[in-house]
Amino acid sequence: MTAEIHNPTNKLSPEAKKVWRITGLIEDVIGLVVIAVLLFLDHYFNWVDWLGWIFIGLAVLTIPSVIWTFVRPHLLYKSWRYDADEEFLHLKFGTITEKHELIPMTKIQAVTTNKGPIMKKFGLMTISVETMGSSHSIPCLKEEVALQLRNEIAQYAKLKEVE
Amino acid sequence: MSPKRYHPLIMVLELFGLVKSFGFIAIYLFVIRFGSDSGFTYYARIGFVLVLALSMVSIFLKWRTNKYEIEDESFHLYSGIFTKSKQTIPFSRIQNVNRRTSFIHKLLSMTSLQFETSMSGNDASIEFKMVTKEEAEMLEEMVKKQPLNSDELSLAKDNEELPETKAEDNRIVHFTPTRKDLIRASFTSLSFLLLIPVVGSLFSNFNDVFSIEEEAQGLLSALPQTWWFYALAAAIIIIASVLFGVVRTFLKYGNYVIASDDNRIYISKGVLDETAFSISKNRVQAIEIIQTPLKRILGLAEVKLTSAGGVGIGEENLEINSLYPFLPVQRAYEIIEELLPAYSVTNDMKKLPRRSFWIRLLRPSWIWIIATITLFIFKPEPFDIEIAWWLISILLLLITVIFRVLDYINSQYVINEHFIQMKSGSLSTTLFVTKRDKIIEVNVTRGILQRQFGLATIGTVNRSKPVHHSGIDDIPDELAALFVSWYRERKQEITIK
Repeated sequence: MTAEIHNPTNKLSPEAKKVWRITGLIEDVIGLVVIAVLLFLDHYFNWVDWLGWIFIGLAVLTIPSVIWTFVRPHLLYKSWRYDADEEFLHLKFGTITEKHELIPMTKIQAVTTNKGPIMKKFGLMTISVETMGSSHSIPCLKEEVALQLRNEIAQYAKLKEVE
Repeated sequence: MSPKRYHPLIMVLELFGLVKSFGFIAIYLFVIRFGSDSGFTYYARIGFVLVLALSMVSIFLKWRTNKYEIEDESFHLYSGIFTKSKQTIPFSRIQNVNRRTSFIHKLLSMTSLQFETSMSGNDASIEFKMVTKEEAEMLEEMVKKQPLNSDELSLAKDNEELPETKAEDNRIVHFTPTRKDLIRASFTSLSFLLLIPVVGSLFSNFNDVFSIEEEAQGLLSALPQTWWFYALAAAIIIIASVLFGVVRTFLKYGNYVIASDDNRIYISKGVLDETAFSISKNRVQAIEIIQTPLKRILGLAEVKLTSAGGVGIGEENLEINSLYPFLPVQRAYEIIEELLPAYSVTNDMKKLPRRSFWIRLLRPSWIWIIATITLFIFKPEPFDIEIAWWLISILLLLITVIFRVLDYINSQYVINEHFIQMKSGSLSTTLFVTKRDKIIEVNVTRGILQRQFGLATIGTVNRSKPVHHSGIDDIPDELAALFVSWYRERKQEITIK
């Protein structure tokens, strides 16, 4: 009996941090623009008083959000581990709440890889795994690693249990 | 067997459905707007008749084209008037069988049958909306005979001389409620309270028509103003409510029968509207034992079997997967053991450690925080009490704490060799029992506070419709680790094909 849950060993690509920071910053900027537009409209059309205060409050909240955008990728990268063997896919991740997920290979129904424009720039891919009732993903893997892992999972997942 | 049409009486059922959905429009167009000769009514009537005629033709055409065939241990379903489609569903995909004999079916001495698979969407079930009882019997028998896995298949081939109807007649009845059980059930289900809205709506309906209230004014003054008159009236109402509750319970649970044979479990119930549910024992994904506060006081419980197939008929969730909802707890455990010898429910479960009590008190309650902030901003003054807002806040906090303490007391778990048992809940408790090979996924989460206390939350996912999540909060870290390594050993029980 082990006192600790055995941690998976494989890490994501270190480039993940950059990708998360860039996407996070883009989201922050979009958020700020939306707030700015709302503030302008508020000023222009003379909306109710307290609405303006809410927008200012939201704008102030962007500051911790930007800090978090810089800190979170580091923590998340450090926390991410995964393992795939012939029996299980084991994922571990989470900055504030740490989560382990253990999925039997026989229950995996589909595995896909996909990448967005920013990930593409860094040569990264995300693997998504579908089971009967849920979907899980391993983000930001190096392209070669991702493709190999996808094929491995597909191979292991070929076997099905007798129901 | 060549493709066969469904029973022609299915058209009667469809027509009945048509009347139900078009009835109101018909009354509106032809009765309420009887004398109207506005353009709208005129065209609406034409449109209505056209749609009605088309629907009737489509009912007939559907009956003509929809066919089924049974071959190679599969159902082959043909459908579509213009776009033809064919669907093949092997018997081995069927998770459970639901049968319902509604009042209309009874009149025509027919029944309806539904085979449920674990697939999602429209193709999930094979429905026979109208079949003769003999044919339903035959279809069910055919699906039942389907060997359960390849081992049994090869075994069956070895002894082909075995009489096929061998397992037919050793069905054992495990439970059928006595009159006493039913009376107890009618009080526990509080169904006598249902008379109140019924009387209420009846009264308001009458009132609209006869305006009782105004006449009652005069009548009221004529009533004898004595205490015994009111006592008598109250007594009559109470007796009527109780009778109503008892009759309702008898109609709903009167014919309850829980039975099983070597391979399957059968649950049937209902007097006017009969439903029956049957599932193969090794397709039971999990068992739930649910106790509401009232049931806990009376020592009763409801037992539910989880199936990967659907448990309703049509749109209705009929709860047909429930063993009798008012079983005495001890009897419930016994029945589970009789029905599913592969399962064993134990009373001997582990309680949570003391530190999970403290973590539950420390954890911030977001509902309470948000409620308090809202109360602080708006400062409502119910009953003109000025400081009421923080009294409400304190009361809310108190309720939150009580619920958490109750959940701590009720939370128990145990991991046996092949099983996991988890119980939780504040007022109503649910005990969840499942086998390792039926769990399709597990997870462990640890929040910031939990990591300080060395605690974790474990969770399981089981097949159902939709998938069933279950879990328990704040168990010690080392037990969460044990839980994960226990799940890793599931290869002992599964067979790969």
